[in-house]
This record gives sequence, C-alpha cells and structure tokens, in this order.
Amino acid sequence: MDLSLTESQEMLRTTARSFMQRETPVDVVVGLQKAESSLERDLWAKAARLGWLGIVLPAEYGGSGDSLSDAAVLYEELGRGPLPGPFFSSGVLGALTVLEAGTDEQRRRILPGVATGETVLTVAITEPNTSWGPGGITLAPQGRNGSFVLNGTKLFVSDATSATDLIVAVRTGDGPTDVSLLHVDAKARGVSTRRLPGFLSWQCEVSFDNVQVPATSLLGEAQRGWAALSRALERAIPILCAYIVGGCQAVYEKSVLYTQTRVQFGVPIGRFQRVQDHVVRLVNHLDSARWATWEALWKLDTGRPATASVHMAKAVASEAYLDVCNAAHEVHAGMGVLIEYGLPAHTQMSRTLFHYLGDPRWHKRRMADALEW
Amino acid sequence: MDFEVTYTEEQQRFRREVRAWLEANVAPSMLRTPTSAEDNYRRYLELRDLGRKLGAKGWLYPTAPAKYGGGGLDVDHAIILEEEVDRFDLSLPPYYDSGGRLGSASILVWGTEEQRQAFLPPIYRGEVRTWQLLTEPGAGSDLAGVRMTTAVRDGDGYVIRGQKIFVGSDNGTDRIWMIVNTDPKGKRHENLSWFMIDASLPGITMQPMELMGTGGEGGTDSGVKQTVFFDDVRVPAFALVGGENKGWTVATTHLELEHGGGGRIGRNRVWDRLLRYCQETKRDGVPLSQQQDVRDSLADIYIKTEVQRLFGLRNFYLTYARKPKSYEGPQLSYYRKTTGLWMTGAILEAVGPAALTTDPAWGAPSGFLETQQRNGIVSVHPGGTTDIQRVQMARRIGIGRSTREKAGTVHGAE
Ligand SMILES: Cc1cc2nc3c(=O)[nH]c(=O)nc-3n(C[C@H](O)[C@H](O)[C@H](O)COP(=O)(O)OP(=O)(O)OC[C@H]3O[C@@H](n4cnc5c(N)ncnc54)[C@H](O)[C@@H]3O)c2cc1C
Repeated sequence: MDLSLTESQEMLRTTARSFMQRETPVDVVVGLQKAESSLERDLWAKAARLGWLGIVLPAEYGGSGDSLSDAAVLYEELGRGPLPGPFFSSGVLGALTVLEAGTDEQRRRILPGVATGETVLTVAITEPNTSWGPGGITLAPQGRNGSFVLNGTKLFVSDATSATDLIVAVRTGDGPTDVSLLHVDAKARGVSTRRLPGFLSWQCEVSFDNVQVPATSLLGEAQRGWAALSRALERAIPILCAYIVGGCQAVYEKSVLYTQTRVQFGVPIGRFQRVQDHVVRLVNHLDSARWATWEALWKLDTGRPATASVHMAKAVASEAYLDVCNAAHEVHAGMGVLIEYGLPAHTQMSRTLFHYLGDPRWHKRRMADALEW
Repeated sequence: MDFEVTYTEEQQRFRREVRAWLEANVAPSMLRTPTSAEDNYRRYLELRDLGRKLGAKGWLYPTAPAKYGGGGLDVDHAIILEEEVDRFDLSLPPYYDSGGRLGSASILVWGTEEQRQAFLPPIYRGEVRTWQLLTEPGAGSDLAGVRMTTAVRDGDGYVIRGQKIFVGSDNGTDRIWMIVNTDPKGKRHENLSWFMIDASLPGITMQPMELMGTGGEGGTDSGVKQTVFFDDVRVPAFALVGGENKGWTVATTHLELEHGGGGRIGRNRVWDRLLRYCQETKRDGVPLSQQQDVRDSLADIYIKTEVQRLFGLRNFYLTYARKPKSYEGPQLSYYRKTTGLWMTGAILEAVGPAALTTDPAWGAPSGFLETQQRNGIVSVHPGGTTDIQRVQMARRIGIGRSTREKAGTVHGAE
C-alpha cells in the first residue's frame, strides 16, 4: 500500500499550484464571476501550452496520455480557485465522451483541437426535467433528407456560452437507452446559448430552433450514445470530484487561517470550541471527499470495477462541498459573505456542482444498484 | 392552554377596519421586485409613504405608547394588525427600520423624558427611518469590544470618529442609532455609550458593501449593507442615551429584542411559496409535490418551519403577556438561523438546480428560491451568530457560570 503521490504527480501539483497563485489570485477569480462566458482567453491559451487541455487524451489524439489520477492532481489545484472555465466540460467530459463514442475518424478530427484549446466542447445532457438518467432525454431529432433537425432545449449545460462544439444527447428510439450523441457546431444556425442568471456558475440554456445537423455528425453509432456516455461519465466524475476536493481544501485552509488571525474577546477565535467544531466538521467532510475520490481513481486507473466507488465519490463530494462552505460561513460570519473575500465563489460553485452530473440521492441509488444489494 | 387565537367581536370589527384600510392603501406594486436601482428607490419612497400613513393612524408601532406618538393599542389589536399586514407580505414597519424598532425600545427604557419626547414621535409616526450601527471591523460578536468608533466630549457636544460595517440598507437613512466608545482607557463594559443622531450631519459618508445576499434580519429584506464613516461628526450632548459609559446596560434591551425575544406571529413566507411552487411545477407530468422524494423533503421543511412558528408564537405571547423569559429569545434566533441554513440544502435537493436561478423561464417566480439559497446563509450572521446564540442560551439556562444570566428588559415606562 502506498497512498502518496508519485514524483511526477508532485511535480504537476507544484507547477499547477504556482500557476494558480500567479495567474488566478482571489481578485481574478472574483472578477471572472460575472462574465457571460467562463472562458478567459489568456488563461485558456496558457493552460493549453501546459498540456492541461488534453491531459486525459492519448498521445495519438494530441493529448499527454496521463492517467486519470494525474488529471485529478491537476483538477484538485484548479478547484482551489475555484477556477472557472470549460476545463472540465471540454478537456475531461467532452474529450472522454468523444473518445468513448466517436469513430476513429471522428476522434482524429475533433480531439486534437480540444487539446490545443481551439475546440471547446461541452456535453448537453439535461433538459428541463433535470434528470441525469437516459429517461430524461426527450429531445428527439427529426430525420430529413439524411440529416437531423433539432428543435428543443437543453438546460443546465455547463459552460455552453464558451463552447465551439456541442455534444448533444438526443432520443432516437423508444427503448430506455435509445440515445444517440450528435456533434453540433455551437455557431450553427438556430443554436443559441445563454448563461442562466443567479446563484449558479455557468450553467446554461441551449436552445435549438430548426437546427440542421448533417448525418455525419452522429458520433459513433445510433442508440449507442448512452453506453458511451456512461463510460465517459464514470471516468470523468472522479475528476470533477477532485476539483471539488480542491475547493474543499482551499476553503479549509482559508478557514483555519481565519481562526488564527481573527481576534474577538481578546483571543483568536480558534480558541472557542464552537469555532473549532465548525472546522472539525469541515475537515471531516474534506477528508471523506478526498479519500472516496482517490480510491475511485485508483480503481479506474488499475482496471478494477469502479462503478460503486465512483457513485459514492460523487455523493460524498457533493454533500461535502455544500456543507464545507456552510461551516466556513459559520467560521467567518460577516467576512465570509463579502464577495471580494472569495468564499462566495466557492459557495456558489458548491451549489452548482451539488446537482451537476447527478446529485447525492441519484448517486446513492446507483451505488446501491452497483453493489447489487 | 389554548393555541387558537380566538377573536372577540371587537377584534373582528378592528380586522374589518384594518383590512379595508390596507386594501385601499397598499398598492400591489409596492411588493414588486425592483427592476433597477431607481425603481428600488421609487418603491422605497412608496413604502415610506405607506409608513407615514400607518404612523398617522398609530398602526406603524401599534403597541408603542400613545403619548409619544405610538398606537397605544393592546396586544389583541396588535395581533390583528400583524396578521393583516402579513396577508400583504408586509411587516411593521413596511421597510427596513432596525434602528427605529430597537432604538425606540431602548429609549423607552433608558432615555430621559425629554429624549423620549424628542426622539420617539418621529419614529412612531414614520417620519424618519433609523439604522442601527453596532458592528465595526474589530468588533462583531464582541460588541463590548467597540473601540474604533469613539465619541469625545467637546464643549456642549461630542465629536464622533470611526467606522461601522455591515450596517443599514440602501436608499439612505434619516437617523442613526449607534454604539460608540466613550472611554478608550476605561474598563470593558464601562466604556460604551449610545447615540441617536441625525444622519445628514457633516462628516458622515457611506459606501455600499457587495455581499453574497441582502439577507433579511428577520422579516423585511435589509437591502444593500453599508460601511459608514464618521469623520469628526459633531453631535449635541442630548443625543447620548442612557448615560455616558452606560452603553452596555442599554445594549441588553437592544440585544434582547434583536435576538428574537419579541417573538413573531407571522407566516413563513418561504414555506408558503415553496409549497405553491412544488404544487404548480410539474416534472415528467407530475407535480413536484406528488413525487415521493420531494414530499419527504417538504415534510422535513414543513416541520422545521412549524417549530419555528411555535417558538415565535410563544415568545410573542411571553412578551405581550409580560411573562418572564430566559433563553427563549436566543432560542428562536438560533432555530431560525440554523433552519434557514439547513433549508438551503433541503430545497436544493428537493427542487434541483431550478432553485439556483433567477431566470424567469426556469427559476421559481421572481427568483424567490434563489434568494433563499443566498439569504439562508447570509442571515446566519446578523444580530449574533449561531455560536453566540448558543452561548446566550447556555448562560440563561444557567450552566457554565456561577450566576444565571437574565433576559434583557424589553418594557419601558409608559
Ligand atoms: C447581512 C448582514 C446584516 C448585518 N446587519 C447589521 C446591522 O444592521 N447593524 C450592525 O451593527 N451589524 C450588522 N451586521 C453585522 C453582524 O452583527 C456581525 O456580522 C455579527 O455580529 C458577527 O460578527 P463578525 O462578522 O465580526 O464575526 P466574528 O465576531 O468575528 O465571528 C467569527 C466567528 O467567531 C465566532 N465567535 C466569536 N466570538 C465567540 C465566542 N465568544 N464564542 C464562540 N464563538 C465565537 C463566531 O460565532 C464566528 O463563528 C450584519 C451582518 C450581516 C452579514
């Protein structure tokens, strides 16, 4: 047994952390919050040069061929920001979906651009019913002259306002998992994207109004979309969880520092047992999320059955981030709700990711199924 | 024991009178979600206008003594008023007036007769609005640690200097009710004083703070919080209430009320709207309220809001029946805060990400759930954190200290 990072993972962590400290201090993260698009050109280009956008892709598609655990090391650092941007949407979920679903020709056509950052993907799954299961996918294309015509709405799609290409899950049959994936140009006539306003981070509405999609846009085979998407999700979710762990870690460090520096009643507030209790609750969540995530990653990277662990990790991480932020707000009181302090960016992200790719209840049920209880 | 509030003939008559009056004087537009800062200001002026009209009838501060411009009404009539304004989703006063509510109560108990006559009528009649200014950068929970804002005696007045944060609301104020340090070398608890001052005095400036939510302190939405700077502000000595360096004693009244000691009999507006939303919103053809997961969450939320209502009802009863209280004030406050915070998660789980957006198409009506998601967190802090409420409860239950702490005085001379 060895629960430490490898030497190259340590190096990646150091590089990523100093990049984050240099490029995305709190004021930058806070400043980005109101932008319609989560993609900041300069940061995106730098991340591409560092090879971060193709981190989960094999070398033959322009990636660096790293393990999921390597990618998780990076995403933990990004989560500390929490750095906005379609890093996960494009570089992980988008990339893995094309990798799992596409033909070799499609992969060669689409993926190198993802690694260089020219192509920005997002996968449009959920609809107004907000379900993450195949049953929730009702958007059904009409076939016309060998091409598809799309009319309808995808909702809570991450980072759609910065995407160049959409992977859209559509219903193409009556069977429960008769779902296909279409590769749609985000600039195609009739496609419109809009960031949803409120206490959520770059979740968007994507509307299709008579959008013509050529038959060649079908990724892989018809009706195989759900199976491919499930495989992609199983590998992508733990990386999202690592991003969440990074968020929890940053909130933890912020909180600990605050208990040491904030003085009330003549003593640092960390002296009060009530404040200690908030921090203890916080770190318990942090560690739960961390170890659930890393075991799932290890199982995936070593080819072990990982389904139950992946579901558990997302359930644990979603709940952890939410309550970690609650605890941090209790620790900080007034200071914590000041936008410029940076905690609200985490709080908002924790609420956004609570549901994204499935909320805890959803994953607990899938976990129980996977464990064959 | 009788939980049902039964109404006498006289109360029912009063209800008809109040309802007819409110229907004639409360425009539905007063409850709109403002579309811009200008609209927000216009709406504020409409509510202030309503406040003056209520004040003229003695209904703005119904139980306040009539000889100082209050309504002089008994609890039976006050209940009717509270219930009727609540039907319009309003509270009394119908705008943020924290310093009016808490300052007037403190002045009734601790002010001189001249001060009562000077300060109370404009508050009770709705002619002025007042903010309460307690918190400073170095003194939040530790209110006795107020040090940065000082008042120094100078001839026939005082000069105030310093800074308060997380205070007030938007659209400005007429008066300020504030606690300052009047003896920097003095002993803790013996160096503070309260002032009721004019907000338009030279040397007072304000700067809005950008917070995660405009979290209501109790009933009304408090709007945008401010940092208020005092740059050598000259105030008359008459503005000092309760005696120089006696501020800690005065604060007990203020804090008792702020901590929920007064109680509340209103509905829980978030609950009402949440239930309606879940009944009206269908997913896969089925109303949310008919889906078992959501029903389970709604049941939990309902129970918490009911317990909160009962605590509020009990405190209201204890206050107006003039029964002794100990930990009940901070208990209501603690329960309200922890429930609001917990509810953010429960609602998010029940409703999903629609709870997070203000979008007219995909969010809840006028974004009320999104507001709860923010304010459930932000409201944990005003008027004492949950930790402080628990400290208070423990002291008043009588554990942890040799002497049991008493609840603050909330009734003044009448
Ligand atoms: C939306 C909003 C509205 C507000 N409105 C007003 C207003 O109108 N007027 C006004 O004057 N102020 C207002 N405040 C300020 C509010 O009263 C303070 O934020 C609050 O009292 C806490 O103080 P603090 O933020 O300085 O936190 P701190 O006092 O620094 O607390 C930090 C942490 O230490 C803990 N702690 C501190 N002392 C103890 C102790 N003895 N035992 C155990 N734990 C302890 C706290 O519980 C918290 O977890 C408002 C704040 C907000 C967020």
